[in-house]
Amino acid sequence: MWRDTVLVAGKDLRIEARSRVALSQVVPFGIVALALFAFALGPDRAPMAKAAPGLFWVAVLFTTVLAVQRSVSVESGDGARDGLRLSGLDPAGQFLGKLLSVGAQLVALEVVLTVGVVLLYGARIEAWWMIVASCLLGTLGLAAAGVLYGALSAGLRVKETILPFLLLPVVTPVLLAGTRIWQAALAGGTPSYGSPWFHLLIAFDAVYLALGVVVYGPIQESA
Amino acid sequence: MNYVVAGYSIVLGILFLYGVQLLWRRRRWTRLVARVEASRPPVDPAPGDR
Amino acid sequence: MTTTAAATSATTPTAGPFPPGLVQSPRMIWTTRIIGIAAAVTVALTVWLGLWVTPPDKVQGDLVRLVYIHPGVAWVALYLAFGLAAVSSLLYLWPRTRSLFWDRLAAAAVEVGVVFNVCTLISGSIWGRPTWGVWWAWDARLTLTAVLLILFLGYLTLRRVPAEPDVRAKRCAYAALFAAVDIPLVHFSVVWWKTLHQGATVLNANLSPSIHGSMAWTLLLGFVALTLVFVWMLLVRYRIGALEDYLGTGELEVALLERRSEGADGLAAAGAADVTAPDVTAPAPAATATAEVAR
Repeated sequence: MWRDTVLVAGKDLRIEARSRVALSQVVPFGIVALALFAFALGPDRAPMAKAAPGLFWVAVLFTTVLAVQRSVSVESGDGARDGLRLSGLDPAGQFLGKLLSVGAQLVALEVVLTVGVVLLYGARIEAWWMIVASCLLGTLGLAAAGVLYGALSAGLRVKETILPFLLLPVVTPVLLAGTRIWQAALAGGTPSYGSPWFHLLIAFDAVYLALGVVVYGPIQESA
Repeated sequence: MNYVVAGYSIVLGILFLYGVQLLWRRRRWTRLVARVEASRPPVDPAPGDR
Repeated sequence: MTTTAAATSATTPTAGPFPPGLVQSPRMIWTTRIIGIAAAVTVALTVWLGLWVTPPDKVQGDLVRLVYIHPGVAWVALYLAFGLAAVSSLLYLWPRTRSLFWDRLAAAAVEVGVVFNVCTLISGSIWGRPTWGVWWAWDARLTLTAVLLILFLGYLTLRRVPAEPDVRAKRCAYAALFAAVDIPLVHFSVVWWKTLHQGATVLNANLSPSIHGSMAWTLLLGFVALTLVFVWMLLVRYRIGALEDYLGTGELEVALLERRSEGADGLAAAGAADVTAPDVTAPAPAATATAEVAR
């Protein structure tokens, strides 16, 4: 399974490296979102700084939808999905591979957005480890749920519009947890306040990872 | 008390309207199926099969 | 109740137009009717008791009367409907119990559940306005109910995507499963979101007062009445789903039939032969679907 994971992740990341879609479209979308929030809340930075945790995570969530759609569309042409089904690759490995690829793009995005939030909104980060941990754990959950719903909507002609509607409500816990952890990690917050939220993130990740590993194969069969 | 009456009317109203809609849909589909079935030739069971 | 006329006529084997798999047993028809009547009666009783007979509460005044309705619709929407949908979806996914019956049951439960969910939000909002002063508050329960509504609606949207019944069933069952495992996570996140603040903990206003005597009985009656309403709606909605699935692959056929019969109505009977001939193209899946629809 792990070999197949690396194979699929490598394939997706190589496609990304050659086409640079994430770099040139997905990440910029996140930055545009930050700018839009600034226009909506500004020009004083005080409300932006206060809302920074939430704005960061909302931008991440919207960009996740894009990243997942991109991940699904990579295989929508030339019978690639059938090819994957026939390839004999372990479906759990395929799931994890796609998860890694989407997750890697999201992490790259989050680095850029964190810098953006600090520079543009004036957010002052005190507990860096909490920022990093929440981003990694949150990304894992977002990518897992995202790849699952992406697989579910892959064969549909309405997949562009139905995917956000399905995915975004489901990842509400990640949004809430990530926002609260960031609030605790910024200047003026109490770091210990974040600990129950970490447990929630871990639970979310565990649930959707387990689901994905088990169910990705059968979903592919019926798509 | 106005709020209470509003609450009761809206909730029960929604349930009532939805119930009526269900009955109407059931009637429509029942008639459709009956008409489609009536327009099909009768199916003869193959002779010699149990 | 004339809708059952066609079904009852179908129980005579030779004259009825219904295929054997789609006939509803008389017992089913009568069960549905009786539950419907019981539901109407108990709801009327609840309304009478709730609005007139029971006294106003010492603390909440007349607002307590909404408590006879609101927890009832909430229990149906959040637990009964959603729980049923989740369990049915699981049973569909489990190979040994796979049957389109479970898929249809889940779909019916979700659709009726959405209606009750909306009622929950509305009744809760109306209760909240005089109590909290606002139409909406990001209270843990309201928020959870709203998220659940969106998840339900997502399921229904997914269901509308045209597909073969078993493909659609599998897809929707997975969607229901993903949503179901999410609910406890959303529940905790929303409760903590509301109650865990930096520093002091904010306590939630207790939603249900302690309740005695005739009020308690009315509350219980409200639960029973709304549960009966749900069951009746579920049964009717299931029947609609069974009929729809049977004709699903023949929708074009049905449309053509309706179109032609509009024109044929004014013609003599001699013209009717033209109407029936093209409809002989009975899709094979419909025949196999009748076996499934037999439940």
